[in-house]
Amino acid sequence: MQAPPVDPRPRVVESQSGQWQIVGWRCVDCGHPQATVSPRCVACGGDHVADRFGPTGTVWSATVVRVPAGDRQPPYGLAYVDLDGGPRILTHTGGDGRLSVGAVVALVAPTDDGDPRVEVSA
Amino acid sequence: MSVAVHGVGTSMFGKQRELSASELVWLAVDEALRDAELTEVDAVYLGTVFGAPGVAQRSLHALGLVDLPVVAVENACASGTTAYHEAYQAVQLGRYERVLAVGVEHLTSVFSGAIVPEPSDVEGRSGLALPALYALAASRYADVHGVGDEDLAQVSVKNHGHSVANPRAAHRDPVSVEEVLTSRPVADPLTLLQCASISDGAAAAVLAPATGAVGEVTIESSELRSGKAWDHRSDRVWGFDIVERTARASFEAAGVAPSDIDVWEMHDAFTIGEIVTTEAVGLAAEGEGARLLRSGQTRLGGARPVNPSGGLLSRGHPLGATGLAQIAEVCWQLRGEAGGRQVDGARLGAVETMGGGVAGIDGNACVVTVLSA
Repeated sequence: MQAPPVDPRPRVVESQSGQWQIVGWRCVDCGHPQATVSPRCVACGGDHVADRFGPTGTVWSATVVRVPAGDRQPPYGLAYVDLDGGPRILTHTGGDGRLSVGAVVALVAPTDDGDPRVEVSA
Repeated sequence: MSVAVHGVGTSMFGKQRELSASELVWLAVDEALRDAELTEVDAVYLGTVFGAPGVAQRSLHALGLVDLPVVAVENACASGTTAYHEAYQAVQLGRYERVLAVGVEHLTSVFSGAIVPEPSDVEGRSGLALPALYALAASRYADVHGVGDEDLAQVSVKNHGHSVANPRAAHRDPVSVEEVLTSRPVADPLTLLQCASISDGAAAAVLAPATGAVGEVTIESSELRSGKAWDHRSDRVWGFDIVERTARASFEAAGVAPSDIDVWEMHDAFTIGEIVTTEAVGLAAEGEGARLLRSGQTRLGGARPVNPSGGLLSRGHPLGATGLAQIAEVCWQLRGEAGGRQVDGARLGAVETMGGGVAGIDGNACVVTVLSA
């Protein structure tokens, strides 16, 4: 039987205080944060250790996809979000309104499909 | 060793469900070999992204191209120009003498609609289709540089205007700004007429040492790069840096400046791509790409014509074939054979192709080559 593809997406977890965060890595040499797995720091080649990022961040850019793409049905919002002190990640944004560049957002529970998701902070 | 393009050829472009990938290759290669006045070559590099296993040999053996080194390469949208780049290097380094570079794609037999994002990629798995990636670039670029939707639409208007005189383009009707902006939304702010269409096609070029004969197009330089990290440290939109680095290296190797180029074919898979690329290759200062477009300089008849073929927006985008279709167009331009879309007196041309789809870097591959006649 065909094996399902390994899920490469960032791991989103809920902390004990109810905040959603990304479990990623930070380089012990240069401090570079990353949300996706790699054998060593992608910036300097140093060793990295587990770290958590979020929940808050800033929208770097955003769109709403209005055509089907693979198993995704439109419309769905996407944004690159720079997590505070952390990496830039691709997130879903829900609804069919495009988030503004510079909007302050926070990670919330992932989508039903398992994608990282943000909402605009109140 | 100085290397020249001795012949080029292409199929028609667009949705061609009635033709096989092999038949498309036959059309392109037959024309290129006749153009080069050759019946055989010493090696073949074939670029394709979604081509079936064996697509190179399956198509080539029927042309009598057998018993020789055949190498297939994949570099996303730059697969065709990667095949060309490898052919160029092989001749330049004396590895082979006559080398055929081919690109082919038959997308209508692979996808029923848009290209499906790659599920093994961290962003592809989250539904980041290519139009969405460029839309995210457009969103950022518009916010930083104050560019409006109408500016984006003008790229499509210009290039569709050019394609009226390109009998091989998939889309040859002129379009207005209003038609572009009211066409079906794809990924905000990009609409359907701002996206290159799913297409089938093939294109080819024959490379060999330059002899100085009439009809040869000399390759002044060719550079190929993969992307560097693109992450929270990056202020520029995705794809800018890889094009800038590759173009800078290619112009340095050719010993010319971007402003010396008479005719450009560049990667306008999406409207924002051409605006950003004109800046990255050095035709406009950063943030001034839309102003360059509005000035009319990049139109046919302007001082810096970009995409006289109509570009990918009009030709259609059979991924692996695109780069060699660009090479063919610039060769026709430099030989004065481009008919109603001819850039008068073009002597120096440049091609830029870039491909993406891998999250974390600013592009899978970029090729920039400078050609002269």
